Amino acid sequence: MLGFTSFLCQLKCAVTSYQTLSPCVHIQDLNYSWPNGAKVLSIDNFSIQKKERLFLHGPSGSGKSTLLGLIAGVFAPSSGEATILNHAFHKLTAAARDRVRADTMGVIFQQFNLVPYLTLVENVLLPCRFSRARAERVGATEQQRINKARELLENLGLQEELNANRPAAELSVGQQQRVAAARALIGSPALVIADEPTSALDADTRDTFIDTLLAEAKEAAVLFVSHDASLSKHFDRLTAMQDVNFCLHKKTSPTCDNAHVLAET
Amino acid sequence: MNLAVLAWKSAKARAGTTILTVLSIAISTALLLGVEKIRDGARSSFEQTVSGTDLIVGARSGPVNLLLYSVFRIGDPTANVSWQSYEAFAARPDVAWTVPLSLGDSHNGFRVLGTTTRYFEHYRYGQKRQLSFAEGLPFSDVFDAVLGAEAARELGYVIEDEFDISHGLKSASFADHKNRPFRVVGILNRTGTPVDRTIHVSLEGIEAVHIGWNNGALPIGRSLQPTSNDVDKNQLQPESITAFLVGLKNKSAVLRYQRDANTFRGEALSAVIPGVALSQLWRVVGTAEKALRGVAFFVIAAGLTGLLTTILTSLNERRREIAVLRSVGAKSRDVFFLLVCEATIVTAIGAILGTASINLGLALFSQQIEIAAGFPLGEFGLSLYDLYIAAGVILIGFILGFLPGWLAYRRSLSDGLMARI
Repeated sequence: MLGFTSFLCQLKCAVTSYQTLSPCVHIQDLNYSWPNGAKVLSIDNFSIQKKERLFLHGPSGSGKSTLLGLIAGVFAPSSGEATILNHAFHKLTAAARDRVRADTMGVIFQQFNLVPYLTLVENVLLPCRFSRARAERVGATEQQRINKARELLENLGLQEELNANRPAAELSVGQQQRVAAARALIGSPALVIADEPTSALDADTRDTFIDTLLAEAKEAAVLFVSHDASLSKHFDRLTAMQDVNFCLHKKTSPTCDNAHVLAET
Repeated sequence: MNLAVLAWKSAKARAGTTILTVLSIAISTALLLGVEKIRDGARSSFEQTVSGTDLIVGARSGPVNLLLYSVFRIGDPTANVSWQSYEAFAARPDVAWTVPLSLGDSHNGFRVLGTTTRYFEHYRYGQKRQLSFAEGLPFSDVFDAVLGAEAARELGYVIEDEFDISHGLKSASFADHKNRPFRVVGILNRTGTPVDRTIHVSLEGIEAVHIGWNNGALPIGRSLQPTSNDVDKNQLQPESITAFLVGLKNKSAVLRYQRDANTFRGEALSAVIPGVALSQLWRVVGTAEKALRGVAFFVIAAGLTGLLTTILTSLNERRREIAVLRSVGAKSRDVFFLLVCEATIVTAIGAILGTASINLGLALFSQQIEIAAGFPLGEFGLSLYDLYIAAGVILIGFILGFLPGWLAYRRSLSDGLMARI
């Protein structure tokens, strides 16, 4: 009996250690085609480790946005496997993938990240409206969550805007991106997806923004997408879309529809 | 903050168009309910104009025409009923009571009705309500007059006031029956029927002012007309009357009595059952009311189409907003319900505002409306029908929200993580 219990314990430990070791994002033999049948993404193997900071580099039309949509769970793979934070996205329903995104991810866009009619704090707390688990991670009560959002905004240098209680729509682009970062980071997500978040910023604020983002996202894996390779110095690893998406190599993947890939802007 | 709150904040952020949409729904709801309320009031006050009378008998004409001039005091009789015929039909053994009516004169635009005191006993309106006196008594002398409530109010007459009556119906008739002043002896309580606008005098009074008017016009060259002192009541037997109301001892005799009157050989008469004639008349009046109702429904349709237009137009400018919501974890069906919520909230506010304002408006201005319409509109107040209509409008708004909801749902599936605009 004792031996069996210790075996169970060992098994549990093994599973736990597997989970710790298992990557944050693991994509295997994945293909994605548009509803009209045009195949735009073909990936043999793509992974992001826990807490890894990955810089994904690629020109427009290289399938970056589609890949991000797949990792975020907005799209489902046409074939192959996409395991995101231990969730088999290729088996889950759209609503279940949406739930994983709400629970565990933060997303920052290039621009227009904020809901204009909500306050800064309301914008930051938006993920908590769609995920109870995330809300509880932020704070047990609404007041605690609000305090947490304010704290995060202050850390990102938005003290003044917060006190002036300015509507989200009146902030500068740089300030809006910082609010978006606060929203992506609220409730300690395991994965932060940033899709060209600095392309609307000027060169000076660009590096500051990335430094702040990475400093605040210590516990998260960060997938940072940009066509500006000079930003890669902030990251652990650099990957080019060309090395990920075999649809970009017509010779090796003749089934892909490159015309469509390149039309995607 | 659930989806409804989010939808509400989004609608509030576009306050200008939202307010206009709410207003158009409120106005169209109010219009539909207003039409319905006035129609109901008109119909019930109409149907209650005369009750407790089994038959109305007049010269041969259509039932609607007979009803119009005898009860509503609208239009003129085609011919009169001779006193002999009246007496013959009044004396039948199955008759409980009769009330003769004699019309044709007026005072300042108010019709003068010659009748007998039995009128005050037997005329019924509404739920068989009897006429009652606010002041004074029924007429007893030849030149006594009893005023309906509205006539007394508008003319400003009180008991003991004297006035002349005019031949014909023009308020400024040149052919005044001068030197025959009538004296107000009684004022009736308000009934909400044409009785309110009627001046009641005795049949003898009508006869008396027409002495010497055998040709139907003022006798030429006769300046001196008899005063009340000259009038001998016994000589004032009328030769004819306009119509008479009949109450029977036994209601089952109505059809026989009607047939006998309609086939009377002495004179061409028509007898109508008031309820039947009233519903026939309402069918005529009701056509306009149906058209009005139809228009009101179309106005509702226009209001709701406006709602749909507003939301569909906002979809493009909200594409980014929806993409943001998706990125923070909103499901596609959340996007659908967000737009359905918005449509429902906007419609609900409009419908509730419209229902409240029409009820409040009618409560505040019912007096003015009744005076303008010329008939009482019955009891106003929030009715079950109002709630049905308001709920129906909200339901349609909810269903209409499916269209923008579905479009946004489809788009959220194809847009991916970030909307490209």
